[in-house]
Amino acid sequence: METTLTTPDLHTTSGDQPVKIRLRNLTKQFTTGGGPVTALDDVSLDIPSGCFFMIVGPSGCGKTTLLRILAGLDTPTSGSVEVSEPAAGRPGNSMVFQGGSLFPWMTVFENAAYGLRMRKRPKAEINEVVGHYLSRTGLSKFSHAYPHQLSGGMQQRVSIARAFSNDPDILLMDEPFSALDEQNKLLLQEELLRIWEETRKTVLFITHSVDEAVTLGDRIMIMTAQPGRTKQIVDVPFARPREVLELRALPAYGELVYSIWGQLREEVQRARTQDEGSVKS
Amino acid sequence: MSVLPGSHPKILRKSGISANNRDRLISIASPIMLLLLWEILVRIGILDARFFPAPSKVFETLLVLIKDGSLWANTWASLQRLFWGFLLGGLPALILGIAMGLNHTLRALIDPLVATTYPIPKSAIFPLILLIFGLDEASKVVMVAIGVFYPVLVNSMTGVLEINSIYLDVGRNFGANRWQVFRTIAFPGAVPHIMSGVKLGVGMGLILIAIAEMIGAKSGLGFMIWNAWEILSVETMYVGLIVIALLGFLFSMTLTEVEREIIPWKKTR
Repeated sequence: METTLTTPDLHTTSGDQPVKIRLRNLTKQFTTGGGPVTALDDVSLDIPSGCFFMIVGPSGCGKTTLLRILAGLDTPTSGSVEVSEPAAGRPGNSMVFQGGSLFPWMTVFENAAYGLRMRKRPKAEINEVVGHYLSRTGLSKFSHAYPHQLSGGMQQRVSIARAFSNDPDILLMDEPFSALDEQNKLLLQEELLRIWEETRKTVLFITHSVDEAVTLGDRIMIMTAQPGRTKQIVDVPFARPREVLELRALPAYGELVYSIWGQLREEVQRARTQDEGSVKS
Repeated sequence: MSVLPGSHPKILRKSGISANNRDRLISIASPIMLLLLWEILVRIGILDARFFPAPSKVFETLLVLIKDGSLWANTWASLQRLFWGFLLGGLPALILGIAMGLNHTLRALIDPLVATTYPIPKSAIFPLILLIFGLDEASKVVMVAIGVFYPVLVNSMTGVLEINSIYLDVGRNFGANRWQVFRTIAFPGAVPHIMSGVKLGVGMGLILIAIAEMIGAKSGLGFMIWNAWEILSVETMYVGLIVIALLGFLFSMTLTEVEREIIPWKKTR
């Protein structure tokens, strides 16, 4: 197992952008009461710089594990992670968690400023940057509120503002909208796209929603059910900037969703029979 | 004069007593009723005044003890010991408890020591404490410190252990160093538990200061009660008990207020 930071030396296999993240034969096993479980099996992947990269897969396919390894919260059993070194003074990555990750003892502003504060940035910079992202996420009025006073959708906005304010090289997003209702999800997807357009950072976004993957992503990796492997990688041809609703009205959108869902359905069914099998035994 | 339809409920609410106020009235009235009953029972000779002096007698003694300054002097002596004991026991317990919650090696090292010494009755250690620290202030302060140490330690540790691990993940992902994790996550996250530890510690401190002052002290509420037994001034004993009860009540009220202030994220729901 090794996680290395390298400088520009990474070459692309296709396209014109340099590679930001390179995974080689990444495998992760967990030891559980019922013996070892392989969450990730031999995943190799190149993610170009500035790519909005989506990962879809049935639940339990190890997509969160993959993200946690990149976030430095987990270590792979074998294989390597190479990430091109961030510009001086900039953090490598920041994660937007699924939900419930805001500190209840901090106000909205303090939560959003967390990364900058930990890096001891000057106060003026913190106020400016955090102020910007709070206003971009429509939270300026709530900067002194505590998380429990906000709705689930607003809490996830704070979580997004926290990650963007930290100005990382790579954004890691772990099903950030999965707990939200359909309307809120749509609004936040639009918001996320607008904010992302400002900087076009490399994003690694995990979802179980094919719609979300096609709406947001440049490229989609479909994962197999446990153990998680790369099933297919699909390019999303739609131009940017995108308007979510207009995009969804396009016939090509429906076709792409349909073809990806066809791939995914086999895996979801496989995951289901696995579950049923484990219940019976 | 016409009456607006919406004004009726307001008028009703003003004239009637809400369930809340009624409960409050009852809870004020019940101790007063008890005292009255006590007074009557003593006066008609059903209760033995040698053991249960009438509340009016106790109140007289209270006034005498306030006037001659001895009540205040004894209370102050106890308060000082409580304060220093609290500082000496509570602060290290807080820091060690949080550190044990964060670091499992430290926990594995110290937890067995705590588990084996915690059940020892603190009053049973007092002779040893007297032997080591002598008859002066130090032995009383140490007694309070020992009493406060355990509940604060155990609750601080539990508080950190019960922090949702996602918060620690956020800390790690956003590059918080050890001290920053301690300050921004472990401590604030454990504060609700720490406060219950402090409350338990106050109760324990009051028990132990009373015991410690009964043996080998020349001042303090414990001394006052013990001394009253020796000179058979039962009323003074009761005054001592009342003041200790009052202190406990005041401490717990203050701590509840403090809790509301420093845990604002739990205040309004």
